[in-house]
Amino acid sequence: MIEIDNLSVTFQASGRVVRAVENVSLSVAEQESFGLVGESGSGKSTILRAICGLAPISGGSIKIDGKPVTPQTKAFARQVQMVFQDPYASLHPRHTIDSVLSEPLAIHGIKNTDTRIEQALTDVGLPPAFRFRFPHQLSGGQRQRVAIARALMLEPRILLLDEPTSALDASVQAETLNLLTRLRETRGLTFLMVSHDLAVIDHMCDRILVMQHGKAVETLTREALAAAEMTTDYARALFTASADRMLA
Amino acid sequence: MTLLSVENLRVTFDTETGPVQAVRGVSFSLGRERLGIVGESGSGKTMTGRSVLRLIRPPGRIEADAMVFDGQDLMRLPEPQMRALRGRRIAMVMQDPKFSLNPVMKVGAQLTEGLRQRDRMSAKEARTKALAALEAVQIRDPERVMEAWPHELSGGMGQRVMIAMMLIPEPDLLIADEPTSALDVTVQAEVLSILDNLVKTRGMGLIFISHDLRLVSRFCDRVLVMYKGRVVEELAARDLMQARHPYTQGLLNCLPRIGGPRTPLPALDRSAAWAKE
Amino acid sequence: MTWNEWLLDPNPKSRAQSRAGQAWLQWLRFRRNHLAMAGLFITLALVLAAIFAPWIAPHDPIAQSLADRLQPPLTPGHLMGTDDFGRDILSRILYGSRITLYIVGLVILTAPVAGLIIGTVAGYFGGWVDAVLMRITDIFLAFPKLILALALVAVLGKGMENAVLAIALTSWPPYARVARAETLTVRNSDYIAAVRLQGAGATRIIWGHVMPMCLPSVIIRVTLDMAGIILTAAGLGFLGLGVQPPDPEWGVMISAGRKFLFEQWWVATMPGLAIFLVSLGFNLMGDGLRDVLDPKGAR
Repeated sequence: MIEIDNLSVTFQASGRVVRAVENVSLSVAEQESFGLVGESGSGKSTILRAICGLAPISGGSIKIDGKPVTPQTKAFARQVQMVFQDPYASLHPRHTIDSVLSEPLAIHGIKNTDTRIEQALTDVGLPPAFRFRFPHQLSGGQRQRVAIARALMLEPRILLLDEPTSALDASVQAETLNLLTRLRETRGLTFLMVSHDLAVIDHMCDRILVMQHGKAVETLTREALAAAEMTTDYARALFTASADRMLA
Repeated sequence: MTLLSVENLRVTFDTETGPVQAVRGVSFSLGRERLGIVGESGSGKTMTGRSVLRLIRPPGRIEADAMVFDGQDLMRLPEPQMRALRGRRIAMVMQDPKFSLNPVMKVGAQLTEGLRQRDRMSAKEARTKALAALEAVQIRDPERVMEAWPHELSGGMGQRVMIAMMLIPEPDLLIADEPTSALDVTVQAEVLSILDNLVKTRGMGLIFISHDLRLVSRFCDRVLVMYKGRVVEELAARDLMQARHPYTQGLLNCLPRIGGPRTPLPALDRSAAWAKE
Repeated sequence: MTWNEWLLDPNPKSRAQSRAGQAWLQWLRFRRNHLAMAGLFITLALVLAAIFAPWIAPHDPIAQSLADRLQPPLTPGHLMGTDDFGRDILSRILYGSRITLYIVGLVILTAPVAGLIIGTVAGYFGGWVDAVLMRITDIFLAFPKLILALALVAVLGKGMENAVLAIALTSWPPYARVARAETLTVRNSDYIAAVRLQGAGATRIIWGHVMPMCLPSVIIRVTLDMAGIILTAAGLGFLGLGVQPPDPEWGVMISAGRKFLFEQWWVATMPGLAIFLVSLGFNLMGDGLRDVLDPKGAR
């Protein structure tokens, strides 16, 4: 469903050239959940941003359903949506939950706003009474639920998840991961998820790509990860550092 | 030997909608050891740490029956003496070095500033001392780091500089508030071993504030588990996996594990009784 | 249910209730700042004086009475004394507040709006749009405000309307600068990225998402600039290019009193005090608003 071929992303920062992603290829099947793991600066989030047209692509191609992507168009918006890492930064501080959720409907000219918003809130496990609250009247976990609801308003088939739980408390992380799993099952979504936490990725994804310094290191299946069957030193080092996240 | 003892600490914020209690009757004592404070956001763990330094700004206020550090009651100490204590005998390391270092001052200048101003040291002496501190936190090229600007440092390096800065006056107590949360797992281990080493060799007391139970159980000697401004459980770190309080158990169980089952993660059922005093 | 409960209801039933609740919280925060309240009080006094001038003014502001000329303050019937035509200074100041308010109001309705639009558009699009708009802004900023206003009035002709136009044309560039700076920090935030991903166009993003974030700093800037606007208007009046005598504009009054400054000090001092007081009021209010409206302060 998602085909990324030899993708490179290069930033020009004050005269210096930063190669954030270099020649990374990956493919995600329909309804698969694919994970990207790596430390900060490994370029894993940049790949998601490149798909959405939020990062400059300097080489390679990104295709969805065999067609090159056209980011930030209405057609693309109905196909791909993203959930950002920090729910405190991804909701407009002066917009109510109601306006956050009704905006995509207004852009695409979709009717029955009221029923759709209440349905969306129920779907992500928020009481409809929250509809007219402002983001600062919600907890971090509740905000992230709103961000997920917003991403699903246009009923996309692909959800890009950029560290969706790393800013949340452990118990809220569990609830959010459960919610995402449930939504994927009921709606047949395809996930491309980024995380630095191997345990989270392992819980959510079927296959993972380990990245370092903008390059792809190794692709592992979930079984290979649990059995510690990695072939590269870096993937092994990452695994060892996460030893306390193993099933006891 | 007790370094710090806190009795019935309360932190209250007067907001437009009435007073909000962030910390409600917390008591603990600390020797020259590693004490972990864990809890979720809003549990009051950060406020507890800041209260020890009396770093709560209005509209927040601190109340305590006693807060004794090395024989001095911090609650009754006048502000000038409190200021002399801060940084010199009790130091604090914050979560993100980006916000704690002055962006328009070179690292070296920031490290020596305190020594020059407070301890009236000569430029040369201060420099030697700063270099030694950087070496103590295992920075391989201290000369280069001294000349660097904060934005040129990586996250791990910045955090190590912060720790070095806090350790120059050789404090007796270090309060570390999520010192490794912004760091990658591999760097995290290094920073922790530096802290560990300092506690062992200098006999410093350490309050380690974190949301990460697994990290705290690995690293600390004793753990306080906080929930909604109260300590719900206090136990030895090695016994954390055998915690009795349902909140602590719930926090441990809701974490995903590598190779774990694909069933939904157990949710934490919060009982109103845990928050009662 | 009391008003207070309705306003502070954590689960508002409608958008209006939610907005009202936020405004109420901001008001509660504003009320704590005593200096800001003093500023608000002065501003309200100005507005009330302007509205009720015909009823509270003891005399006709332009009625001359040469028998009573240059009476000192506290003379019976003339609390602040009279000027060289025997007109009651208190009445002139009260009526003058109408002119001041009119000028201030017109400038507020034009300059910040223009500045906000130009600044956000420049900041959001960047590139050549930014370069062109900001160079125009720079050209306006390059001249001292009063000199530029003088030049404009000289071209447009004397009179109050032209003075307002001149002040508005010279005071928008700082707002454009402020709005642009704010836009640059907002532009790359996640919430803007999120709405772009939903296919929103530039107009919707700038109008609905960027402007609300720039508005507080512009409002604060306006209240702080208000003193400058009043002074510029007074300056133009003083130089004889703004409001024309015998209309009781404060700047014109100072200008007229200048001749007697040493012997009959009150003629120039009383309107001067009025300008000082009103400017101070707006400044104090602006300071208080900064604490309340600053989006970085609101969690």
